[in-house]
Amino acid sequence: MTYQTMLALSVPLALGLAAMASAFGLSRAVTAAMEAMARQPEAGGQIQTAMIIGCALIEALTIYVLVIAFVLQGKIS
Amino acid sequence: MAAEHDHATGPVHAAHDGAAAHGEAHAAQEIPELPNVITVLSERYHDHPVVAFLHHYETPFFGILVALFICALFWRFRKPQPLPRGGQNFVELFVEGMDGFVQSVAGHRGRQHVPFIGTLFLYIWFMNLSGLIPGFKSSTSSLNTTIGLAVVVFFYVQWVGIKTQGLLKYFDHLAGSPRGVVGWMLVPLMLPLHVLGEFIKPVSLSLRLGFNVFAEDVLLAVLVGLGLTAGLALHLPVGIPLQAFVVPLVLIFSTVQALVFSLLSTVYIALMSPHGEHH
Repeated sequence: MTYQTMLALSVPLALGLAAMASAFGLSRAVTAAMEAMARQPEAGGQIQTAMIIGCALIEALTIYVLVIAFVLQGKIS
Repeated sequence: MAAEHDHATGPVHAAHDGAAAHGEAHAAQEIPELPNVITVLSERYHDHPVVAFLHHYETPFFGILVALFICALFWRFRKPQPLPRGGQNFVELFVEGMDGFVQSVAGHRGRQHVPFIGTLFLYIWFMNLSGLIPGFKSSTSSLNTTIGLAVVVFFYVQWVGIKTQGLLKYFDHLAGSPRGVVGWMLVPLMLPLHVLGEFIKPVSLSLRLGFNVFAEDVLLAVLVGLGLTAGLALHLPVGIPLQAFVVPLVLIFSTVQALVFSLLSTVYIALMSPHGEHH
């Protein structure tokens, strides 16, 4: 098995794992925010702002893996 | 719309590799990209120095185009009428929304940063959306643009920190506000941590924005290519607009990414201000 094969197998796998993990994190964050908003609709704006910050920070992790995937893509071929 | 545009440039490639689906990719190994005005010009007049210059600087070219558009927008509404009509309604809606948004995050003292944050939001938003116009390209899909924006935010945040707290308080803040013996002993740990944190902020800001928009553009290009391949396979005169399903998503994410960039900038500014309770 050449290292190109290993990369071609592991890079999409890594991206998929990262996407899975951040989807899990996003689901928890959004669930909590939704529950809080349902309980206190008057604080909805603030909760939404905080939720978007949190979502952006969680989502950034997948983007970092995407960066690595693009960096390693050149080495596959 | 983009599919038709792409189809127009297709025959250029179809002549030598027999597949219009490769219209957006110069080679099989390259990352697919939708054609824009400059790449089309570059196909035709490859040796012309002006075209070569534009092709080399296409990202700043489209960025400057968007900036000129925003300038024209503000020039158009520079004298607000007491009874707003037409486009002025939208501009007022935007300004009021931005004002409320920044004040809800940074408090009343954050109001002085509304022009900066608002301009940032508008610029990034229009640059993200310009990728959806046929013949245009999102400047924010290139890391060069987003790093530039993040560096601007970085220096603005540091400047706000020094101006509002004073130089001494600013360094005190960076050192983790040492009080007492334990505080001073922790300075060698806290100072590098805070300095590193300040430098990581622009990196994460620029990477997030750049690669999100880049991923959107690649997704659109891949779907346009698929639609063209399907159209060719079914002997249709035009490609199937498969990207129509993703365009609403791209619209939403363009807005969300612009919002996240300006929101995080506001948060960084608020953290640097003396009355930031949460740090």
